[in-house]
Amino acid sequence: MSPKVTSCRAIEPDLVAAAIGEASPAAVVRVQHHVHSCEPCLREMERYQSIDRVVGDLRRAPAGADRTDTALGELEYKLAELRRRAVTARVWSSPLGPILIARSDQGVVLVEYLESARGAAASRMLRGRGIEVLEDGGETEQFHQQILEYLAGERTRLAWPLDFRLAGSDFQREVLQVTAALPYGAVTSYARLAREMGRPTAVRAVAQALRHNPLPIVVPCHRVVGGTGALTGYAGNKLGLKERLLSLEGVPIAHTRREGHVVRDAMYVVADHDTQYCVPTCGSLPTLPLWRLTLFASRERAESSGLAPCTDCRPDLHPLSTQLKL
Amino acid sequence: MGLEPFEAVMSAHHAEIVRYLRRVTFRSADAEDLSQETFLRAFRAYRALPGDANVRAWLFAIATNLFRNNLRSAKRRRAAHDVVKSRGREHDGEGPEGAALFNEARAAVEQVIDGLPAKQRAAFVLRKVHELPYEDIAKSLDCSADSARAHVFQAFRKIRKTLGDQLPSAEVSA
Repeated sequence: MSPKVTSCRAIEPDLVAAAIGEASPAAVVRVQHHVHSCEPCLREMERYQSIDRVVGDLRRAPAGADRTDTALGELEYKLAELRRRAVTARVWSSPLGPILIARSDQGVVLVEYLESARGAAASRMLRGRGIEVLEDGGETEQFHQQILEYLAGERTRLAWPLDFRLAGSDFQREVLQVTAALPYGAVTSYARLAREMGRPTAVRAVAQALRHNPLPIVVPCHRVVGGTGALTGYAGNKLGLKERLLSLEGVPIAHTRREGHVVRDAMYVVADHDTQYCVPTCGSLPTLPLWRLTLFASRERAESSGLAPCTDCRPDLHPLSTQLKL
Repeated sequence: MGLEPFEAVMSAHHAEIVRYLRRVTFRSADAEDLSQETFLRAFRAYRALPGDANVRAWLFAIATNLFRNNLRSAKRRRAAHDVVKSRGREHDGEGPEGAALFNEARAAVEQVIDGLPAKQRAAFVLRKVHELPYEDIAKSLDCSADSARAHVFQAFRKIRKTLGDQLPSAEVSA
């Protein structure tokens, strides 16, 4: 009997496979051949077939649909909550060093200069805010691309959807919104922004709000300077970056002792809410404080902001470049 | 990226993931927690998934990992044994279909499935209930397709051995 036993043992894996419908055609033939002359193995195969039928029954059984629906509803709620908290972020390289860009469903949440490219974990701004940082699947790539174009001088506008959720207060949010409207090539002062907001005494608060701007470059806080034209501060201690961004827009900057400042005399000027721009020597302009002025790096920048040349000083006929050599 | 919105993925696969987890875990409360965790995890990683990824297999793999980790921590708490022992088929009588539709043979088979080692149980359920290819089961269980298949066959042998002569008759059907 021993050859038979060996044979049964050898056919066993094929027999199980055949019974549960997972055998190759060749194995099926082998099994058929074997069970034709082996009654016990035929029985064995039938048993496996019955088990497989019962198991197939499990597949068809309904699975408590009511409870599943409740669970799905709960899950959808949690997912919506997670979506609200979630941002996707990636650290990109740039001529200004590693830059982290984060976005939510609403828009760009954060642009942060990083000391190293260690990833979203390196962000101070995203820590401890109940924000969940998700792996970026390419959502921030377009913004990175536009920043590169901007820094190369090939782009003057970053028309991004913005999400101000990282603003620490309604006041900061308002400062950021007002600052976001400053056009390319324009320079204004903290004091002027404070006045624009109807809070003329909140100059320091405006400066603080911009110091912690979560969206530098796109909310161009680099275009805001101190009352004397001094660059004052930028993203903590990154004054060099502020100067670089202003220079990119053609804003003239001079250095006295330790501080850089914008050269007001070398820029076109708009007083208060005038619709015309002037050369800085026009009328009483030289005597006006910076909180009443907006400065422009060029006629082109002033005109693309919708301003017309002053009909008295005629900056169109006597442009600054011919009067002043820096 | 060729990925559909995550909500669509969720509504397409939620029921089967819950069903899978109910089958392999010992309590339906665990299954519901784990399926929730499966989809929240999946959501976090979804956007980084390649556009041509097999989302269904990927979800089963996440669920399997969670289930096995859960089992490990349950074991650490020395609670698993008691839970196994106290397990009736808690979820079988829950649906409107009631207990009557579940005949004895099926109950017997289910009992054996419940007693299988976790890896075998997962392989068996993924293959026989959810009909996943062995390659996908292998990814879920972090083993080769051959050993995934071996797990399933071994499970069948155990059912066969445990049931002995009490095997369901050939007429058993849905």
